[in-house]
Amino acid sequence: MTKKIICPRCESEHTDILTQSPVPGVWEVYHCEECFFAWRSTEPDFITDPAKYNPEFKLTREQLDQSGIMPAVPPLAKR
Amino acid sequence: MAYKDLRTHLQTLADQGQLVRVTEAVLPEPDIGAAACAVNKLGEKAPALLFENIKGYTNARIAMNVHGSWCNHAISMDMPRDTPLKEQFLQFVRRYETYPGKVEERATAPWEEVVIEDDINLFDILPLFRLNHGDGGFYIDKAAIVTRDITDWDDPETQNVGMYRLQVKGKNRIGLQPVPAHDIAIHLRKAEELGEDLPIAICIGNDPLISTVAAMPILYNQSEYEMAGALAEEPYPVTTARHTGLQVPWGSEFILEGRILSRVREGEGPFGEFTGHYSGARRMPVVEITKVSHRRNPIYEHLYLGMPWTEIDYLMGINTCAPLQVQLKQAFPEVQAVNALYTHGLVVIVSTKVRFGGFAKGVGMRVLTTPHGLGYAKVVIVVDENIDPFNLPQVMWALSTKFNPQYDLVTVPGLSVLPLDPGSDPAGMTHKLIIDTTTPVAPETHGHYSQELSDPVSTDVWVEKLRQLMPKA
Repeated sequence: MTKKIICPRCESEHTDILTQSPVPGVWEVYHCEECFFAWRSTEPDFITDPAKYNPEFKLTREQLDQSGIMPAVPPLAKR
Repeated sequence: MAYKDLRTHLQTLADQGQLVRVTEAVLPEPDIGAAACAVNKLGEKAPALLFENIKGYTNARIAMNVHGSWCNHAISMDMPRDTPLKEQFLQFVRRYETYPGKVEERATAPWEEVVIEDDINLFDILPLFRLNHGDGGFYIDKAAIVTRDITDWDDPETQNVGMYRLQVKGKNRIGLQPVPAHDIAIHLRKAEELGEDLPIAICIGNDPLISTVAAMPILYNQSEYEMAGALAEEPYPVTTARHTGLQVPWGSEFILEGRILSRVREGEGPFGEFTGHYSGARRMPVVEITKVSHRRNPIYEHLYLGMPWTEIDYLMGINTCAPLQVQLKQAFPEVQAVNALYTHGLVVIVSTKVRFGGFAKGVGMRVLTTPHGLGYAKVVIVVDENIDPFNLPQVMWALSTKFNPQYDLVTVPGLSVLPLDPGSDPAGMTHKLIIDTTTPVAPETHGHYSQELSDPVSTDVWVEKLRQLMPKA
């Protein structure tokens, strides 16, 4: 059974492998479908390990969904 | 034109001792971001970097710090590499004033060598990597991004080339930051009012001038390609990207085409920004890429930004000063020079002649109402005409002695600023400040400035004499 990849930032299990190194076996790049975080397997553990990820930068989907909008979506023009 | 593409420019940087090839094996993270941060600590002669051996890749090459010193900036403008900053500024303004330059449309371009339209995976195509530890992902931050007004498509004046950060969030999905004060936000608003997607071309790995122009606050109806032609002093070559119909640089390494999805906002960020702070995360527009074209063995160009000064401060320094100067002089020919080098012009220093009391404050107000000033220019310092705004000891002298807060301070409340300013509250709103350090003239009377020192007679002669007497190195 393969180990589930947990997003280091939001700790969601909804993650996927985006790409693997052209030289086989050097690294993999993952992304989180919830918070859109991306990371590489060879990055320092304070990036890849959910337990060591900088608490100041932890971010959940709920927080993202409540964040500000830029630029604002304009009203639809009347046709 | 001195450089038709990034490759010829890198060769010139190498010929002039301004390119370091990094041939040792490096990890994408943290090595490349760390090295590109470190090179900015080498000062005004810092070289560009070309990484040629990146672990995990077979033939990726990444260029960093291409604009990241005044030497590199001079070479990008085809000036002698040791041209002093003030001289680079004056030369830049002189070429700017020849606008519009010529644009040459070419039928084919080298970036058409490889075309990908199916199963696009940007992470396979581009050697993407994280710059700073808190970044929410892998960004493209030095692309020339092309859009047009879809309600006025055939008017070339509506075409815009700008530089906006891009977070690659999926195989063909990109988060885009169109700051409301920038031209792309006008195009997006018009498309979204109609509920339509906005075609977009993202051009990566470019000749140095289009990067300079894309990061330059020119007017909405001015053409970036005609500005590049003016700065190059010869026609600027472009090719129409057939998938979107947008004109893109002929010499680019990569062209990504697609569309900004109408009325969609999705989490983006944070990203370490030029303010020396992370941006926080916001919901921003999303781009879907539907076609990628690139040269064979393409070079990926990227830019490090972090605690100033970094490459971005060189890239958006003189090109911010020049349009502000030209726009200010249209209203006030008395303006002598504009220094907007600091944090893209969040601080602006203007030297001007003063015709009557209160005049300098008026010049300061005009800075706030220029197109760039609307979104930046939080603090404006106005100095006398004999103060060089690029000479900070002179500016500090004026501030120390010519300034009295009782008379010379204007606070303008509730203005716009780019939301990335960490001092803005709410993000995008701020008070602004005009500091008038000019010598009061009638009918304004305050202070005692009638006995300003001047150098003893023959000082100039002695400067030259002493220079000759100095021991030769």
